[in-house]
Amino acid sequence: MADAAVTGYAEALFAVASAEGDLSAVEDELFSFAQAFRSNDELRSTLADGNVPAARRLQVVDDLLDGRASATTSALVAMVVATGRAAELPAIVDAFIEHSAASRNKAVATVRSAVALTADQSDRLAAAIRTSTGKDVEIRVVEDPSVLGGVVTEIGDDIIDGSVRRRLNQLRESFR
Amino acid sequence: MHNRPIRLLAAPLLSLVVLVALAGPASASGESVGGCMAERFAEAVEAAHGDIEHAAHDEAVQKQLEKCFEAPSPILPETNEIIWGGGAFLVLFVLMVKKGYPAVQGAMEARADRIRADLDEADQAKLDAQSVKSDYEARLGDARTEASRMIDEARGDAEKVRADLIARAEADAAGIRERAAAESEAAKAQAIADLRSEVAAIALGAAERVVQSSLDADVHGNLIDAYIDEVAGANG
Repeated sequence: MADAAVTGYAEALFAVASAEGDLSAVEDELFSFAQAFRSNDELRSTLADGNVPAARRLQVVDDLLDGRASATTSALVAMVVATGRAAELPAIVDAFIEHSAASRNKAVATVRSAVALTADQSDRLAAAIRTSTGKDVEIRVVEDPSVLGGVVTEIGDDIIDGSVRRRLNQLRESFR
Repeated sequence: MHNRPIRLLAAPLLSLVVLVALAGPASASGESVGGCMAERFAEAVEAAHGDIEHAAHDEAVQKQLEKCFEAPSPILPETNEIIWGGGAFLVLFVLMVKKGYPAVQGAMEARADRIRADLDEADQAKLDAQSVKSDYEARLGDARTEASRMIDEARGDAEKVRADLIARAEADAAGIRERAAAESEAAKAQAIADLRSEVAAIALGAAERVVQSSLDADVHGNLIDAYIDEVAGANG
């Protein structure tokens, strides 16, 4: 899934975050930044554009993360952007989180929902996934209004889609 | 050719010349009455041995002199004329037999030959003309046959072209009809599909709006709980 560069960067991020001792906070911050990066076209095109000077791109990162993320997270994002790998940032972050979870013998379940899950719901969902697939998972929630309602869970290549969007799509297919 | 009439005229001319030449001695015997009397009286004087008186009174001499007053016979010519005339006639006859007749006969034969030749030539020309005419008629017949054949052929070709054109036009028309029918069918199917798609889009849009408006926090929570139960229940 991930190519050598993505894996290499993910491992580097993991090593730095582990060394700095705030692995969990860095994971959350990097995941949030990656989600913002995915959903914001302007941010993505600015950071991934090789024609924009590196200093300008780093300035953007600095402006975005200053006061909202730890120094480690900012430094790691700045490193990825400065080396011109901004376009692969989401993949690197995903690989980093998977690597990090794997270090705790867990898998990552990315949960997309129109609204945030409560802590109780997250725990119950993790338990349900363990029951159903036998995997220990860490829940990463992504708020996605396009889901409309319900939940879509991605664990690696497996997808469990229980969204209202899927039901509407099924309805659309039935019309054809 | 031109000397033939001259030769034909030569015989009578020659006869006329001979006749005139031989007539001279004949007419010489017809001398004047005076001359006759003088000649006879001189002969009588000589017979009387110069005794003119005797001679003048002799009745025999007078009768002889009177004979000089007698006119010659209008029918019978003088003996010498007969002799000269007969001789001339004989000469002329011989000349005519020997020269004139062969010339005339030759000319006649030549003329007959020429006429015969002309007639033969005319016959030959007529035969030639007939041959040419029959030849022309044969050619005319051939030409008519050929023309008739060509007309038939052209008519056949035209008929074939007409049939081809009609067949092609019919095929084209059939193709056009088929295409039109197919296009009409396709347009109809497309219109139905478009309509169905439109209806589906409207219906889905309406459904989506209804769903969105009915999704409050409780419903979201219920949906998530139901999902968790579903995942837990799915023993995968």
